Amino acid sequence: MICIYLILSLSLNLLVGYTGLLSLCHAAFYGIGAYASTLLITKFGLNFFLALPAGVGITMILSLLVAYPSLRLKGDYFILTAFGFQIIVFSVLYNWVGLTRGPYGIPGIPKPSLLGFEFDSLPLFLLLSAVFALLVFFVLYRISASPFGRVLKAIREDELVASALGKNVANFKIWAFMIAGGIAAIAGSLYAGYVTYIDPTSFTLDESIFILAIILVGGSGNIRGPIVGTIFMIILPEALRFLGIPDTIAPNVRQMIYGALLVFLMFFRAQGIAGEYKFE
Amino acid sequence: MNISLNENLAKKKRRFFKVDTQQKPLYTDLKSSKSSCVLELKDVTKSFGGLVAVGSASLAFSKGKITGLIGPNGAGKTTVFNLITGFLKPDSGIICFNGYTINGRPPWQIAQLGIGRLFQDVRVFDKLTALENVLLAKKEQPGENPLVSLLRRKSALDAEEKNMDEAKKWLKFVELEEKEDSLAENLSYGQQKLLAIARLLAGGFEVLLLDEPTAGINPQMVKSVLDVIRRLAQEGKTVVVIEHNMSVIMEISDWVYFMDEGKVVTFGLPKEILGDPEVRKAYLGI
Ligand SMILES: Nc1ncnc2c1ncn2[C@@H]1O[C@H](COP(=O)(O)OP(=O)(O)OP(=O)(O)O)[C@@H](O)[C@H]1O
Ligand SMILES: [Mg+2]
Repeated sequence: MICIYLILSLSLNLLVGYTGLLSLCHAAFYGIGAYASTLLITKFGLNFFLALPAGVGITMILSLLVAYPSLRLKGDYFILTAFGFQIIVFSVLYNWVGLTRGPYGIPGIPKPSLLGFEFDSLPLFLLLSAVFALLVFFVLYRISASPFGRVLKAIREDELVASALGKNVANFKIWAFMIAGGIAAIAGSLYAGYVTYIDPTSFTLDESIFILAIILVGGSGNIRGPIVGTIFMIILPEALRFLGIPDTIAPNVRQMIYGALLVFLMFFRAQGIAGEYKFE
Repeated sequence: MNISLNENLAKKKRRFFKVDTQQKPLYTDLKSSKSSCVLELKDVTKSFGGLVAVGSASLAFSKGKITGLIGPNGAGKTTVFNLITGFLKPDSGIICFNGYTINGRPPWQIAQLGIGRLFQDVRVFDKLTALENVLLAKKEQPGENPLVSLLRRKSALDAEEKNMDEAKKWLKFVELEEKEDSLAENLSYGQQKLLAIARLLAGGFEVLLLDEPTAGINPQMVKSVLDVIRRLAQEGKTVVVIEHNMSVIMEISDWVYFMDEGKVVTFGLPKEILGDPEVRKAYLGI
């Protein structure tokens, strides 16, 4: 799971940390990716390694549904648009029973296999997802350290000045959405292949908030922040388990700690643990 | 046939010459000798609610010349720049650039056509380094396409290297080479202004709209900034300068527009304008 969250937070960082778009719909991209690749596998018998890129493509196209409104809407209005997209995607997954089986979810998703070799054990799957996480890291590292990433940061700082320098801001935002959405879809496919069962409750607004929290805790605007954030937010609950807190109250304690942590960070280190950029 | 064409051309040249040196390039005159006027506003109006920020103003700016734009606070000077650069859309009127009507076009297109501006309130990218700020100005960088960057195409890397050298040159030019890795927010106001100037120069714009370029920088730097502005005009750029500092206007401008309450009140040579009793009364309170 840590690799999946790494992929999610690294990709969201492109929108939040680089472009300055506080996007609350990353779980929607994650979910679209998971459902798209799963349906291709279960309905058309596609191999995981073909379904995954197809899911990425589908999610990239659907990400335009948020990208376009974001060009006209600023600040709080954009946040609401992304929020709305998240709700819509969830209700489609939940209510389009004919396609997604709605609340029943899709069970029995085959494990990924390549040329007869099945990634069926936990270590093998970890290896697979680590390879993908590394690949994503590599792609995002190159993209964000490039002139493209520089323009995204300029847009975050001052959109109007960026346009006065001849940058077509709309184009860059659309790219950022498509890349971030497409990469979240990779996480979705991996998740489906790992759990072998998906239902809409894995892709809710809560999940979007959680991914955003990873970035806010770890810090955004550089590539270290999401990594620190993921390690912190995913390993923290495991650490709590070692403290011997009874299982019945553990989830509540965890929620409280997350909440307290966020409030604490926003007061004392608003750019996150390892971030460069803070929201104002 | 050929001869008459040549004659015609020569005549045109002569007239053109005349306009440049003796006649005021009023926009009506400029219609007949279009080539010297790069940028022109015709009867442009912009109001905010009931407030007429720019009221049916007509201005023309010539290539290779420095045109001063002066007027009291709130006269509408910055609004003129906002209209030219597409930040604001005029309610009526035409803005013409190199024969194209540019009103209604988005700012990035206008910038790509070759109109750059220096903002009154500096507006550097705070969380980016000085070098990154300047690098951003370069147009058509291949690496701005994420796919090209991902594949590390050689053309993109080469272009980046070249742009990097060029950006460093501009930083050196404004004597900020030691600050190239500092975040812009950590520079002093004067340094930020110089950084903004370096960023503008790196953009290679044909028209430069400078909103108070010398405000807030030390006198020595003012001198070199003015030298730069002069040199840019000599290189054939069209320069428009908004300034409150009258000695600067006297020193560098070829022509001056005086605006008040959104209207162009007078236009002429700097000494004419500053000698105009109306201007002195309205503006300088003398
Ligand atoms: N976006 C806007 N919305 C509302 N009113 C505006 C806007 N921009 C400018 N104005 C008003 O239009 C008038 C002209 O403003 P402008 O900034 O062009 O003046 P200026 O000549 O640049 O003055 P200064 O010398 O103080 O910079 C002012 O009264 C200003 O308050
Ligand atoms: Mg002004």
